[in-house]
Amino acid sequence: MKRNSIKLVISLVLILFGSCNDPETVVTNFVHADGSVTRRIEMKSHEGDINKRFKISEIQVPLDGNWIIRDSCEVDKKGDTTWVRRAEKIFRNIGEINLAYKSDSGSNKGFSRYTGFTRKFRWFNTEFRFFERIDKKLTFGYPVKDFLNSEELHYFYSPEKLKEEKENGPDSLKFKALSDSVKHKTDKWTEKNLVSEWIGEFSKLTAGKAGNKVTFQSLKSRENEFVRIIEKNEKQLDSLWKTGTLLKEFLGEENALKYKSEADSALSIVTANLFVNFNDFSMRIAMPGKLIGTNGFIDSSHILLWPVKSDYFMAEPYEMWAQSKIPNTWAWIISGLFVMFVLTGVIIKIVKKD
Amino acid sequence: MAQENEKLDKVLNLLRKSSPLLDSSEDIEKEVIKRIKNIDYSGTVLAEAFDFMFGWIYIGWVRRCLVVASVALVLLFAYQQAIILRRIDYLSRQTVVSEKENTNTHADEMAKMLVVLRNAGRRFPSNSITISEKQMKELLESVNELQLKYKDLENLIESDPELKKMIQKKLMENNRTKINL
Repeated sequence: MKRNSIKLVISLVLILFGSCNDPETVVTNFVHADGSVTRRIEMKSHEGDINKRFKISEIQVPLDGNWIIRDSCEVDKKGDTTWVRRAEKIFRNIGEINLAYKSDSGSNKGFSRYTGFTRKFRWFNTEFRFFERIDKKLTFGYPVKDFLNSEELHYFYSPEKLKEEKENGPDSLKFKALSDSVKHKTDKWTEKNLVSEWIGEFSKLTAGKAGNKVTFQSLKSRENEFVRIIEKNEKQLDSLWKTGTLLKEFLGEENALKYKSEADSALSIVTANLFVNFNDFSMRIAMPGKLIGTNGFIDSSHILLWPVKSDYFMAEPYEMWAQSKIPNTWAWIISGLFVMFVLTGVIIKIVKKD
Repeated sequence: MAQENEKLDKVLNLLRKSSPLLDSSEDIEKEVIKRIKNIDYSGTVLAEAFDFMFGWIYIGWVRRCLVVASVALVLLFAYQQAIILRRIDYLSRQTVVSEKENTNTHADEMAKMLVVLRNAGRRFPSNSITISEKQMKELLESVNELQLKYKDLENLIESDPELKKMIQKKLMENNRTKINL
């Protein structure tokens, strides 16, 4: 697929030039009942040079000198050394985390991220909800759930380790077929997003221009047609765009010549939004009390786990949330005594009546 | 008949008007107080407290309100617990990801120490090291050698059950049961 080849080239370039020192990062939020959060970042790197290892600008989440930092190393059976940096900080509330996100100078600084915490009193229990959210990148994109069924969605959001396990497990054939289906459908999803976003951006750039008959609605009504054209010509997409053939098919000859520069600008914006330079990492959340709801996965340490990848927040915000509860023992006792008291009164009344 | 009734009324009026004269009303008062004092109140206090606590059972609307409140509390409790249990049950059926934690808890402690020693020159200021590089090399080599020999010995013992039994027996005799082969 063309998209895959473009993505592959971009990824390779990023790997070769920009992201070769990116550590494998796991962020763990230990949420406390009072709203404070102990945040722990664990980074693993194979980079031997101490000056290149764990550079702030290459770390996926905010980290600065105010954190308690511990360095160590691990040696595997082959003798390869892995350097591990553990950083920990207590945030008094989510406001402090959000402030850290705003002033982040790490590798994912261009992405809007924030956290939220709510505590609700429910008489017998107090419920807590914590979330980490990354805002969507595309303005005119389609949610991935429009393209995948529930099983495929679950697979799409699964951590790589789980996918590997399933693909190599007893139902390997089923999961390989599922993997192929997800890949095929997400390719379609990306193509549709590409076209939809281009239409949106192009319409914004041409809006209000004199004699413009190419409106957002007219382009949107032909969206599926554009997607089919792209699918049909995926192998010569670059050359067809450069020669203006594709644009002529989209807008007609006269408009293609008239709005060539706007169309190119729109495509540049879309490409920048679609193929973002985001460094993946894993997010973990440990909630106070008993866990009662989440959209994450449970890892071997019984802590919630989410993989964080750019595809997840392409067309819709990616929210990693967890809910838990702590029983209010005093409310249980008071309620029990009250019910017993009323019950005794009612029994006395019945006995005296007799 | 009418005459008889008239006579009865007259007698009654006469009796009402001729009330007995009390010579010692104070004595009577004292006697009454004395008798009241002698009454046993032990059961009455409890009864009063009981009446105070459960007096509401005789007031219809209070009784009904309290019963409604208790039923509401019980229903609320049942509803909340049912929802929570259903959610917990759903979570317990979720797949557990065997994602390894990014921690070094399983790392070989000795190997880790060796790496720290190997990199000591880079990690600590040179003036804090009081042994020479040659000595350090010798130390590392001897530790490596010792590790290899220990592994060989361990394999040898594991492969020979009789030898293993004998060594375990010897260790027991020497009261060194902490070493588990």
